[in-house]
Amino acid sequence: MKKNMFTRITIVLFIIGLMIAVQYNTIKQPAERDTRDIWAIREELAEEKQRHSALLAEIRSLNEVVGRYEQSEKANLQSALNETLNRLKLQAGLTEITGPGVILRVEPAPELVEMGYEIKEISPDLLTQLLNALFKNNAASVSIDGNRVVQTTAIRDINGKTTVNSVPLSSPPFEIYVGTSSFKEAQKMYNSLQASTFIDSFYLDNFNLMIEEPTEHLTLPAFDQPLTNDYLTEVEKGE
Amino acid sequence: MWLPFLGLIFGLALGLLTNIQIPSIYENYLSIAVLAALDTLFGGIRAQLQQVYDDKVFVSGFFFNIALAAGLAFLGVYLGIDLYLAAIFAFGVRLFQNIAIIRRILLTRIDEKRHKRNKNSIE
Repeated sequence: MKKNMFTRITIVLFIIGLMIAVQYNTIKQPAERDTRDIWAIREELAEEKQRHSALLAEIRSLNEVVGRYEQSEKANLQSALNETLNRLKLQAGLTEITGPGVILRVEPAPELVEMGYEIKEISPDLLTQLLNALFKNNAASVSIDGNRVVQTTAIRDINGKTTVNSVPLSSPPFEIYVGTSSFKEAQKMYNSLQASTFIDSFYLDNFNLMIEEPTEHLTLPAFDQPLTNDYLTEVEKGE
Repeated sequence: MWLPFLGLIFGLALGLLTNIQIPSIYENYLSIAVLAALDTLFGGIRAQLQQVYDDKVFVSGFFFNIALAAGLAFLGVYLGIDLYLAAIFAFGVRLFQNIAIIRRILLTRIDEKRHKRNKNSIE
């Protein structure tokens, strides 16, 4: 009888302990205080606002697609599908694209060549960094020495040759075409590249990075290799 | 004798180590439930000291009080009356009373013991 009583009290005390511990955990939950000042919060808010407007724009464009589908449901579904296909191809970089943009020319620094410096391959790291900067500045499409950069593009060193899409770059000089969504964006890109440290970084590798004035008509080649996707599979009809 | 304390320590350890957290809306309910549980616990200790302890009363009181307190708080939220204050008040007062009674009983017992020892030494 007595043992039974102790067991029950033990269970009750166990529950009490658990409840107190949970309560303690819950109360001390905001362990780190929010110490941002109003400016930091405003900046974060602005970032979220930008994301918001980007999402809204996306919703609007998708709604347009839905509307087009609905309109052409009876008339010609095929053309609507074709349109979507073309849009997706454009997004994936499978089509040639013409629009405003900036041309970057990478060439060996002439004075260093005259002095007998050996001009090596451009390093993949430098190219990757440049690409990151380009996309950060809202580049819509990029091609390096005629090789269109798409989602799956790899820039790497293969047997001492720097390759883009597994195609070795021709030795400098070569050109990097940067397509943007508007001429204004192209001007912005030009200015920010002029102000960036890339010219110096390229010079460290014995290259001159020439940034040409933005143009209205720049044609970027299509991605010419088959796109491989190892992870996407076709959905069975009716699923 | 030490089994109940082991249970308490085990419960505390489990709660602290697993770092379980409840959503902050339920925080009120839990705090009231903790209060009810403590009240029942001290009530049980008092009853044991007064030799009127009953297992059934203790265990049923424990769960019933917790449920009642949480229920009152829940009702209060929906009626717009801070009914949980009633529970806090009731349990708070009883907690103090129980602890006061426990203190007195323990004091009398210590006094009695001392008396006995004195008597023994005189004899």
